[in-house]
Amino acid sequence: MSIKRKAAIVRYLLVAGLVALWEILPRAGLVPELFLPPLTKTLLAAAGGAGDLAYHLGVTLQEILVSMIFACGGGIISGLVLGASLLARRLFLPLMSGLFAVPTVVLYPLFTAWFGIGAESKIVFASAYGFLPTLLGTAAGVQTIDRHLIVVARSMGATRFQQIARVYVPATIPTVLSSLRLGGALVIVGVVVAEMLTSTAGIGFLISKYRTLLDSPNVFAAILLVLALAIAFDLLVQLLERRTVGWRHAMRSGTAGYA
Amino acid sequence: MTTAGTLGNVDVSDLSHTYAAKGQKSKALDSISLNVETGRFLSIVGPSGCGKSSLLMMLAGLIRPTSGSIRVGGRPMEGPDPSRIGVVFQEASLYPWLTAQSNVEFPLSLRGVDKKIRQARALEALALVGLEGFANSYPHELSGGMKQRVSIARGLVQDPPILLMDEPFAALDEQTRITMGDELLRIWDKTRKTVIFVTHGLSEAIYLSDEVIVLSGRPGRILDRVEVDLPRPRTLEMMSEPRFVALREQIWRQIKS
Amino acid sequence: MRSEIKITLLRIGIILAVFGAWEFAPRVELIDARLLPPLSDVLATLRQLLSTAKFWSHLAATLHVTIVAFLIAVPLGAVLGILIAESRFALEVFKPLIFFIFSIPKSIFLPIFILVFGIAFWQKVAFGIFSTIFIVMMTAFAAVESVRADHLRVARSYGATTFQTVTRVYLPSMTPVLLEAVRLAMIFNFTGILLAEMYASREGIGNVIGAWGQGFQLKQLLAAILLVAGLSIIFNETIRYFERKCEHWRG
Repeated sequence: MSIKRKAAIVRYLLVAGLVALWEILPRAGLVPELFLPPLTKTLLAAAGGAGDLAYHLGVTLQEILVSMIFACGGGIISGLVLGASLLARRLFLPLMSGLFAVPTVVLYPLFTAWFGIGAESKIVFASAYGFLPTLLGTAAGVQTIDRHLIVVARSMGATRFQQIARVYVPATIPTVLSSLRLGGALVIVGVVVAEMLTSTAGIGFLISKYRTLLDSPNVFAAILLVLALAIAFDLLVQLLERRTVGWRHAMRSGTAGYA
Repeated sequence: MTTAGTLGNVDVSDLSHTYAAKGQKSKALDSISLNVETGRFLSIVGPSGCGKSSLLMMLAGLIRPTSGSIRVGGRPMEGPDPSRIGVVFQEASLYPWLTAQSNVEFPLSLRGVDKKIRQARALEALALVGLEGFANSYPHELSGGMKQRVSIARGLVQDPPILLMDEPFAALDEQTRITMGDELLRIWDKTRKTVIFVTHGLSEAIYLSDEVIVLSGRPGRILDRVEVDLPRPRTLEMMSEPRFVALREQIWRQIKS
Repeated sequence: MRSEIKITLLRIGIILAVFGAWEFAPRVELIDARLLPPLSDVLATLRQLLSTAKFWSHLAATLHVTIVAFLIAVPLGAVLGILIAESRFALEVFKPLIFFIFSIPKSIFLPIFILVFGIAFWQKVAFGIFSTIFIVMMTAFAAVESVRADHLRVARSYGATTFQTVTRVYLPSMTPVLLEAVRLAMIFNFTGILLAEMYASREGIGNVIGAWGQGFQLKQLLAAILLVAGLSIIFNETIRYFERKCEHWRG
């Protein structure tokens, strides 16, 4: 058996073991149920509060969707534009990556002061949270595109418009997808964290509410829901990326590689 | 798909080119003049940086020379013109999101050629390079040699009278390079296009061509025109024959000086 | 060279333009001054805050938590990461797990930390460590992998002892990557701790920022934001400076 398979088996055993511990430790009284409610109780709480969860999930999803348009849409488009212009890159990229060091969370109270505690402040915050990394990721990705692809198009008599539409845009799709993946994940976190801090609705709000009620099973249930959301989104984008796997292949190696 | 008459003539007259980079001017080419008759196989060799690729870019219409003129098929070159000149680069640069066939169709689709006609021409070109069975394969599924062949098919799809090739086999391993050389000669024999082939390899140049142009280092000047009077079809055994070796020596001496 | 200077000037120009807008837009009533006090007012407030003991105690509290968490998370993460990366089997087992955990948002676990630890000092430290340790481990993986096998072979063939191999080959190769780990770790650490303070805490910069936001005291809020931004950027750029100096070692 190869090392990879052995390692995979060990990994599955580890995870299975952890899940088992999740159930056993609290039930055996080794860990207070407040800190770690048994898995089964958590799942039951989720099932029990399904209607409530669904409503708040809806609120959260709406905020996520709108934020994604700004953060990912805006981030990707600016990243593409920035990536295409050497001057813009040299001017703005160092400034932007300098800003990256600033913890964006501190802006949230500012946004609640400006926009109130409703959906708007969450959207502004999550958009700001996801925008910069998406932009940086896209701009970096655009730089890895093989410039020669455009030269070849020119040699075939392509007009400027054709060069952009038929070569540049398709070539950027793998980058766009991976930026979407990154930006989307950040937007999800941004929205939920904002809801946790000050809100009247949404999954984050639920998490906070149950925490103050010391209702651990529901806290864990809501957190699991967020995780499921994040993972589902990630898998969705990965599915799209899989269809473009061959594209990345050829771009990174550049020259004709293997025989 | 054969070429006749003067459509495939290439006439370069007193071509010079100066680059301006970082405030400094450097002369890449100095008064190059050459005439290639339709259907000839011409190679250009020279030391690195001697401007051979610049010359090719100008022939392809991608760069405008600072002085001198280029006429192809009797008409001046104003810009890229794939109906007159097909270009094959060192990097196959096939578009990874298109199949082999779609890649070959690409120049035609840029011109808005009808779909059925595009597909038929592309399949013809792929058949010419022996890859009709791989029409629906994606570039990442093809080997280096196969990718270059698709690139050649793409250059030929509009049936231009002239084919320009800029070190097309340089990124391939030796075995494949030799195979591809023979492939190219087979295609050339069938279509009798004018081929202008830039390469680093002296043996490759002599093996393939009717005539070898030797360029000097920067600024590139024509040092010599060597007529390759070896019989066709060329065989690998010829490479060890005295005439071949003598030609190689002659060119090598020119480049060294 | 000349274009370098031009670009730098342009960059400074952009920054000045942004600050200029911040100063003048509220003054000429383009923006409501209650929503965005002019920059000079904010800076004056900052100076005033920095002369109050109360503010300093909050700042000190935050820095205290940050540094403690940092000093635990980074060595711990580095050691764990290097140990795992050294064993091929351990790497195969744990690397996908660590990457997976890194990719899931950790901020949402904050309420659990509060349930378990309460809202005092150690809860924030624990959350800071939790936010940081995975990126350190992942960077440690990269650091070990970046030590080129051929450099090691050369050292071994010249009979280098383990100590020499560690100091002459491992450390110089890994230093740029480890610096990167420090830089990223601090970003995640500081963010996590500020979040913890904003969410549920009785002290710390995050806490006062949250309070000022709720109290609509924008001058103080913006002043604190500027301070936090300034500190983060200074730390970040300092490490980047050292990273650049080590870049040429990477080869």
